[in-house]
Amino acid sequence: MSTVMKIENLEAKIGDKKILKGLNLELEAGKVHAIMGPNGAGKSTLSKTIVGHYDVEVLGGDITYKGKSIVDMDAEERALEGIFLSFQHPVEIPGVNNAYFLRTALNAKRKYEGKEELNAAEFLRLMKNHLEMLGMKSDMISRSLNEGFSGGEKKRNEILQMLILEPEVIILDEIDSGLDIDALRAVSEGINKMKDGKRTFLVITHYSRILDYIEPDYIHVLKDGKVIKTAGPELVAQLEEHGYDAIEEE
Amino acid sequence: MNLITLKNKSREEVATTLEVESRELLLEKFISLGLPHKMTEEYHYFDVEKLLDAEYKTLNYVPKTIVEGDKIEIVDGVVTTAPKGMRVYYEPCEMIDMNHFDALYYLGHLLSPRTIKIEIDGDTAVEILHKYTQSDTLISYRIVLYNQANRHTAVYENFEADDIKNTLVLYGYDMHVAQDSTLRFIKLQTMQNSGYSMIASHKVNVSKNANAVLKNFDFGGDKALNIFKIELGEYAHVDAGHLLYLNNDSKRGTASQIIHRGEYSTSKQEAKNILDGQARGIFDALIRVEHSAKFSKAEQSAKSILLHKKAYMASKPQLEIYIDELEASHGATTGQLDEKQLFYLQSRGISYVEARKILVIAFANTLIEQVKDSRHQDRIKAAFEEVFYTENKG
Repeated sequence: MSTVMKIENLEAKIGDKKILKGLNLELEAGKVHAIMGPNGAGKSTLSKTIVGHYDVEVLGGDITYKGKSIVDMDAEERALEGIFLSFQHPVEIPGVNNAYFLRTALNAKRKYEGKEELNAAEFLRLMKNHLEMLGMKSDMISRSLNEGFSGGEKKRNEILQMLILEPEVIILDEIDSGLDIDALRAVSEGINKMKDGKRTFLVITHYSRILDYIEPDYIHVLKDGKVIKTAGPELVAQLEEHGYDAIEEE
Repeated sequence: MNLITLKNKSREEVATTLEVESRELLLEKFISLGLPHKMTEEYHYFDVEKLLDAEYKTLNYVPKTIVEGDKIEIVDGVVTTAPKGMRVYYEPCEMIDMNHFDALYYLGHLLSPRTIKIEIDGDTAVEILHKYTQSDTLISYRIVLYNQANRHTAVYENFEADDIKNTLVLYGYDMHVAQDSTLRFIKLQTMQNSGYSMIASHKVNVSKNANAVLKNFDFGGDKALNIFKIELGEYAHVDAGHLLYLNNDSKRGTASQIIHRGEYSTSKQEAKNILDGQARGIFDALIRVEHSAKFSKAEQSAKSILLHKKAYMASKPQLEIYIDELEASHGATTGQLDEKQLFYLQSRGISYVEARKILVIAFANTLIEQVKDSRHQDRIKAAFEEVFYTENKG
């Protein structure tokens, strides 16, 4: 097994509340990992901690990505290294053109990787291809970033960013929340398109519905700030039937 | 001339100093309001006394032959060029507002016995360029602007200065927006490296069914105050926007009164202020709805972003309402850049410095994009980005 990210004894708090309490997790490269757990278990805090969110203070433990500790890295550096979070509630930014934002982000990454930056025409071609695939309207190019977007449009826009930025570790925080069946299918198609056996997915979800579309390799159950069980996809059915309370810590 | 010497002088003494013995009513108004000082409400945050208490050269405003050009060009208060067919001439101003709140409105008129009169015919767009070439000088002039009824006019106002210092410009418009017409007036001022201060004192009459769109884009250094009083007739509308970007130790802003006189008149006033360094911004704006203005609508908002802990915004939106039959709202916010928005951009690999620039430009763009003409919109965007990027290298 090749590990792309390793989280060891991670302890973290938001405000005065300690939420992650010695969390251990290994992400196998190229696999889909689903994190499931009850409300308040620390699922969103885990995703925020991995991407370096300003709300989170790491109290102990370590996160290594491709053998390198990332806990002291800025959010932008983690992103440039290939870690991507699809936000549960993407923020609206009036006045920032969606295409301009995405091209700036892509060119920042290309520059970091020593590649040539894309000009506006090259970028638009790339963006239009992905828009079509996600069933997104072409006015998404000129609209302000997430401003006035429906819940489904915001989630599709997150997937559009993922497709364009081509990250290596992709964290999907409640990507299925607020999506109707068509939007869920389009979003899942976008995600499955990125499954190439090299990229790693961490799918954070309350419900098993999304896992019908994105087949997980591993299920990790998170409870009270720790991963209490790791198993194969068969665990989903058990959770559906008996709930999280029936899971004992391994 | 040192303007502070006008303080507490008798009418006769002021008349003699200004050589305006024959303008009794204006003199009386100026003396009754008194020379502005730090306790004068609209000048409270502006340090006006420092500007007035300086020795300035005065100019002899001799009208020149106006040469045909693509724009109206006014050099040190004298018109030098105007587009073919446009009526630009000098004459005494007959329509002075005798109830203006600003003493310097009257001082400007007293110092400018003949005003520059611009009559805009038809559906036209015109550019007015003000140029200043003199240091240590008091440049004072007034402009009267008329458009035609049932016509749509756009005026784009710009400023240029030679390498001058310690000059004070007192200027202003008396604008008359004709019945059933639209006047779009877009002012762009960038004074980052120029050495003049400005007090602009305007009066705008918006006639019945007329629409005035007044947008002020102020990306300046040094000191400037934009003062205006707008009166709205029946079914008249004004859309006033102010975008202010300040840095270093500049002090600039707006002091205004919008007065609803006619029924069903509407006003929208929106200020966006971005302050860096030790700059001080001013937005002291009153909307008054009079007894005669039933069924009016008034909307006022001021949003400010402080980019430095020493930057200061004096934001004072006010509504004064004398009737019940109206819709009105106002509000002001002052804060830092939104942390969530900054993080979102950084989480996509955009650096903190770049993310900050993107958000500031986005904040400004929401007002700039209200300029309908795309060429002028692009020009204002470019002017803002040039000033902002120069100050925020890295």
